[in-house]
Amino acid sequence: MQLTISNMSKRYSNGVQALDNVSLSVAPGMFGLLGPNGAGKSTLMRTLATLQEADGGSAKLDDIDVLKDKDRVRRLLGYLPQDFGVYPKVSAEDMLDHFARLKGVTDSRQRKATVDALLERTNLAAVRKQKLGGFSGGMRQRFGIAQALIGNPRLIIVDEPTAGLDPEERVRFLNLLAGIGRDAVVILSTHIVDDVADLCPNFAIISKGRVQLTGSPAEAVTSIKGKIWRRAVPREELESIQKALPVISSRLQSGETVVRAFADHAPEGGFESVEPELEDVYFSVVTGHLNPAPLQAAA
Amino acid sequence: MGNLLAIARFEFGQRFKRISTHVYFVIFAALAALWMCMAGGVFRNASVSFGTEKVFINSPFALAQTVAVLGFLGVVIIAAVTGRSVQQDFEYQSFHFFFTSPIRKSDYFLGRYLAAIAICLYIFASVMVGIWIGTHWPGVEASRVGPWSLRAMVQPYLVNLLPNLIFLGGAFFGLAALTRRMMPVYVAGIIVLVGYLAATRLIADMDNRTIAALLDPIGSSAMSLMARYWTAAEKNTQMIPFRDELLWNRAIWTFIGLGIMAFCYARFSMSQFQSEGKGRKEDHASKGAKPASGTATIPSVTQDSSAAAYLRQLPGLVALYTRETVKNVYFLVIVFTGVFFIFVNATVIGSIYGTNTYPVTYQVLDFVSGLFSLFMLIVTAFYAGELVWRERDARVAQLTDSTPIPSWLPFIAKLLTLFAVQALMQVVVMVCGLLVQLFKGYTNFELNQYIYRLFALQLPSYWMIAALALFIHVVVNNKYLGHFLVVLYYIAEIAATAMGYNLRLYLYGEEPGVVYSDMNGYGHFIPAIRWFQSYWAMAALLLLIASLLLWVRGVDDGSKARLAIARARFTAPLKAITIAAALAFVALGGWIFYNTNVLNIYRTEFAQEELQAVYERQFKPLQAKPQPKITAVKVAVDVFPHEHRIRFKGTDTVANKSSEPISDVYVLLMETATIHELNASLGWKETEAHPELNWHQFKLSQPLQPGASMTVDFDLEYAPQGFANDGASKLVLDNGTFMNSIFLPHFGYAEAFELAQDSDRKKHGLAPKERMPDLDNVAARQRNYISYDGDWIDFDATVSTDADQIALAPGYLQREWTENGRRYFHYTMDRPILNFYAFLSARYEVKRDAWHPQGENVPIEIYYNKGHEYDLESMDQSVKDSLDYYTKNFSPYQHHQVRILEFPRYMQFAQSFPNTIPFSESIGFIAKVDPADPKDIDYPYYVTAHEVAHQWWAHQVIGAYTQGATLMSETLAQYSALMVMKKKYGDAKMKRFLKYELDNYLRSRGVERKKELPLYRVENQGYIHYRKGSLAMYELQDVIGEENVNRALANYIKKVAFQDPPYTISRELLAEFRAVTPEDKQYLIADLFESIVLFENRAIEASAKKVGDGWEVTFKVEAKKLKADEAGVQNEVPMDDWVDIGVLGKDDKPLFLEKRRIKSGQWTYTVRVSEEPKRAGIDPIDKLIDRRPEDNVVPVKTES
Repeated sequence: MQLTISNMSKRYSNGVQALDNVSLSVAPGMFGLLGPNGAGKSTLMRTLATLQEADGGSAKLDDIDVLKDKDRVRRLLGYLPQDFGVYPKVSAEDMLDHFARLKGVTDSRQRKATVDALLERTNLAAVRKQKLGGFSGGMRQRFGIAQALIGNPRLIIVDEPTAGLDPEERVRFLNLLAGIGRDAVVILSTHIVDDVADLCPNFAIISKGRVQLTGSPAEAVTSIKGKIWRRAVPREELESIQKALPVISSRLQSGETVVRAFADHAPEGGFESVEPELEDVYFSVVTGHLNPAPLQAAA
Repeated sequence: MGNLLAIARFEFGQRFKRISTHVYFVIFAALAALWMCMAGGVFRNASVSFGTEKVFINSPFALAQTVAVLGFLGVVIIAAVTGRSVQQDFEYQSFHFFFTSPIRKSDYFLGRYLAAIAICLYIFASVMVGIWIGTHWPGVEASRVGPWSLRAMVQPYLVNLLPNLIFLGGAFFGLAALTRRMMPVYVAGIIVLVGYLAATRLIADMDNRTIAALLDPIGSSAMSLMARYWTAAEKNTQMIPFRDELLWNRAIWTFIGLGIMAFCYARFSMSQFQSEGKGRKEDHASKGAKPASGTATIPSVTQDSSAAAYLRQLPGLVALYTRETVKNVYFLVIVFTGVFFIFVNATVIGSIYGTNTYPVTYQVLDFVSGLFSLFMLIVTAFYAGELVWRERDARVAQLTDSTPIPSWLPFIAKLLTLFAVQALMQVVVMVCGLLVQLFKGYTNFELNQYIYRLFALQLPSYWMIAALALFIHVVVNNKYLGHFLVVLYYIAEIAATAMGYNLRLYLYGEEPGVVYSDMNGYGHFIPAIRWFQSYWAMAALLLLIASLLLWVRGVDDGSKARLAIARARFTAPLKAITIAAALAFVALGGWIFYNTNVLNIYRTEFAQEELQAVYERQFKPLQAKPQPKITAVKVAVDVFPHEHRIRFKGTDTVANKSSEPISDVYVLLMETATIHELNASLGWKETEAHPELNWHQFKLSQPLQPGASMTVDFDLEYAPQGFANDGASKLVLDNGTFMNSIFLPHFGYAEAFELAQDSDRKKHGLAPKERMPDLDNVAARQRNYISYDGDWIDFDATVSTDADQIALAPGYLQREWTENGRRYFHYTMDRPILNFYAFLSARYEVKRDAWHPQGENVPIEIYYNKGHEYDLESMDQSVKDSLDYYTKNFSPYQHHQVRILEFPRYMQFAQSFPNTIPFSESIGFIAKVDPADPKDIDYPYYVTAHEVAHQWWAHQVIGAYTQGATLMSETLAQYSALMVMKKKYGDAKMKRFLKYELDNYLRSRGVERKKELPLYRVENQGYIHYRKGSLAMYELQDVIGEENVNRALANYIKKVAFQDPPYTISRELLAEFRAVTPEDKQYLIADLFESIVLFENRAIEASAKKVGDGWEVTFKVEAKKLKADEAGVQNEVPMDDWVDIGVLGKDDKPLFLEKRRIKSGQWTYTVRVSEEPKRAGIDPIDKLIDRRPEDNVVPVKTES
């Protein structure tokens, strides 16, 4: 299975260019799609999940035209939307069974086996009879992935699954994702860099509707080695430094404001070189200080 | 307080900025303006009236009504504005900010409430703006607008709208605050609607009026009650008084509303976060202990995403959706409200004179399904939206939409769910109907009738509405707009019909109605309905295909994207179905059009009126020309019940009774008559014709000389073709045909065909017209008021029908035989009768009896439908009692047989022909008269007595075609029946009957369209010749004595019975009355018959003390007499009348009752009674025409 997106574009009627000539090639395995809020991730996810039309371009899952042959895609698809609800008065088990039916699992024994396995896998077996309305955020996300996994999907799209989860739940959820079959194409969209760093052999950064960078996290980090500089700054200088230098991030660390900048050479004023992290790649790209073109070419 | 105002101001400002607020304002202003334009006569096809056109459209009464009606529509707005003003905080989760800020609960709650009320007030101010615009609209007739009064404009707001706002707004607001949802608010709105509807129904029943007035949450029933007896003049000048029922109504509902609000306020908490606490707890319970994730491997499955596999899922999905819908608490509330509504109203099913009928299945079905249809529409509209939005509302749409289910699966499942829910509602209707029958002790359950009507006849129509509702919701893809459009469709269909547009071919889902009759079943009316249903089913199918194509799956990207998707979904098989459905739709539509507009004539109301106007304009001048008069009719009538065809073949003998020769004859036939033959013995030639009117002018080959006669041979056939817009023709029925002489040829100008109402005449450019010729018009006395082309005629009829039916006509059966499988009956009449007769044919059972006065034998025969045996004894007894009384007191009976003939309930009256009384099945054959119930009136007995009396009053004495004519027929028939009833049931029961007559008279005079006339000039006005007639004649016999009245009537008959022209007029009757009335009571004849007199008598105080064995009662009364003019302006006149004063004991038993001559003013009386007095006063048993009879007596204070 190989997902190939070519030149996909989408402009909303309010003028927002959600996707701007997006091209991506995704091989089986976990693929991270990283980007800030409003970057166009969800639009891309929904389009791949057959829920939205693109203005132009194409997407192919092997030989299946994702944009046209929606029915075939849906048979291979597992989708966990960013924002979804549940019927509060239905139990997890019944709801999964219902989805299994909708996915065409007509044999009731098979359905039961699948539902049982999914509940076990997502650690919801103990609450299988519980009404979905009483589920916590983490349980709901796990339920969400359970329904996405019904019917051995080959294309799994998981949109911002860890947003709003507490650290423990997040870890649990990522573990769950990591266990998903290796031969399926799994696209994980997130704005949390660590999700990608922890899980994905390949990733892309998308911002303002464009793919800014693709590659493996390790390559990306290597590419900016020696270009990230850090310094603690007094609060009153922060603004002027941000103006003067290619600052990519500033954050409080033990009460001090620490800024990081992207530059080939150490900026003036006591900056020290640091070992780059994937987060630095991300911030460099979304702040526009890293021109990703050469990297893209490399990938 | 500061906070409260700040919150109120902010909320008001927010709402005021919102476009919807101003849209509501404009909508209500437009509605009010439209309403006024309709009232003012701007639209030629439609008009609204406030009782009568003489009531100014801006009179205090009209303004109050208009504001109340629009305020009622405004319940929706009140619900939306007040409910949303607090619910929005929950929907948008903004309550977090408010509830955590340092404001008090009272500030938040009351501040929002006040702002919502203020917004509503702003919105409803538009009604007055609209009224003002409407009354000034070009085209509003100046005569319809009266003087403006500020008080009249403000009062409806203070009395009606403001209390409604406080009460409804309070309740709605409280509910929204407490439940944090809009749904309970809408359900409460539905309950208010039902309360209002229940009240408007109950108020029709005299005994429930006060309860009904109090029950109406909107208060408009109470307002109507206050003004129920007002004449146009009063409506134009008086303000509706704020007292009694109206005051109580407003007080009760304001209290209830504030109570609900107080309750909700007390329970409302700003710290409570609903439903989240629970989830958290369970979360913690299940957290932690377990490992990060399970290790189970997910077994591989086979997925079958073939259409067949998904089709197999359909029943399961439908079951799932249906379960969800009907388990929903709001659904249950709506259904139970409907059930409650049914049982509240079930007490008065089919009530006539406060007396119920047997709850036969058709009546209960009409009643229950009629009441429930509103709830059906509500549920359909509502759940169409809910189902379409089911997944999206629950935010699982993205999950389900990305599964491989075909798009048609959820769509069809939802459609079928809606169908199933409707079917379930019909089951509820059926259960309610059966329960109503059971509770009334009626156990002849006709399940097949229930099932046929509810599921085979009604359900398909409801399904078409479901399809449309679904279509609307899918296409507009906005739940609230969808609901609005569905409701708009409901209103538009009603409005179209109200505006005079009723061609069902172009009104989605419309079909001809059908009336079930025990006699005729559904008759031959079903096929037309099925054609319409098939036609609309094809339309529904097309709508459903469009819905399927436009069904939103995934994100709605706007109409362009949806159309692109639709094109992709429009596969070849679907295209084929669409084309087939479209072709079928067009073909069926063409077939229906061919039937309704080609084979039959379709006219709008306006076009029909115009035809009548054409007739008058073109042919009225001919009215002055002498025309031949019918002197004998010999006719052979062939009824073909199952072909719905009838043929009249016969000979009229006509004579020239004028003094000049007649050379031109004008013949008007019924529009649908086919002429096979129409020839005069003198020979004639058609010289002119108006085919649309079926009017013909013939020139005689030689003139018909004065005094000479000729014969006219005719052969007419009525054979309906196909079906009309209103369904199949009702002329000839499978069982129960009833046609009268109007279907035979008539000679001369038919004045009755002219437009009667001045407003209609004006629309068609005709001058206003009196309803009848003046009492002193001598020329008009040349004809009687029943027939313009005959006086007394000889009659002979042979009627044939199917072998299993009996055919009837006036006269006596000479011979009955069977020929070619058809039954023939030959009737002849042995003496001349009025030129008015009828033919009937049905499968009759016959009850035979006879009346034997002194050795004579007068057979009594009741021809009835099997199963309608309930009231035959009563009718039979009534015939005998009537014959006894009338022959003894008036004159001998001119015929020697009485026949009562049942006919189907498509028409609801009884009518007296010579020795023959057709009687509708609905007004006496299923009456359930409980002899033990003092309230029940034996109306089959009464109607029979009335109709038998017509054998004297109409068939012996017939008035000239002038004002006052019906005094000698209807009023005297009413008097005769009253006397027969009094003899059997006593004076007390008559009081009950007269109460209905009084109420009907007083209400009807308030809606008189032209002018109220005294009895002796009555212009065929039912409320005068029946209702006031009963009261006047009863009073007359009460004061001068029954025997004197009867003596006058006997004398009158002697003078005028069976007379030839000139016919008698009412002055001659009054002269007889005067001749038997003592000098001191002569005033009564003028008061009762020659003027419009009302009383405003009342008791002021009463006390009693024990004296010996009895009591001495002293009471003070006030006497006041009024005279009204034609317009209803009433002025006090000096009184010097004989009036009862009396003392009533337990159960209103009269302890003392005496007539005293009383002058205007206050008087004190002291009388002695032997039992304990309870109440005392003037006219204590309500014999006089008094608009407030309840104040005629006051309780007696007993001194110890």
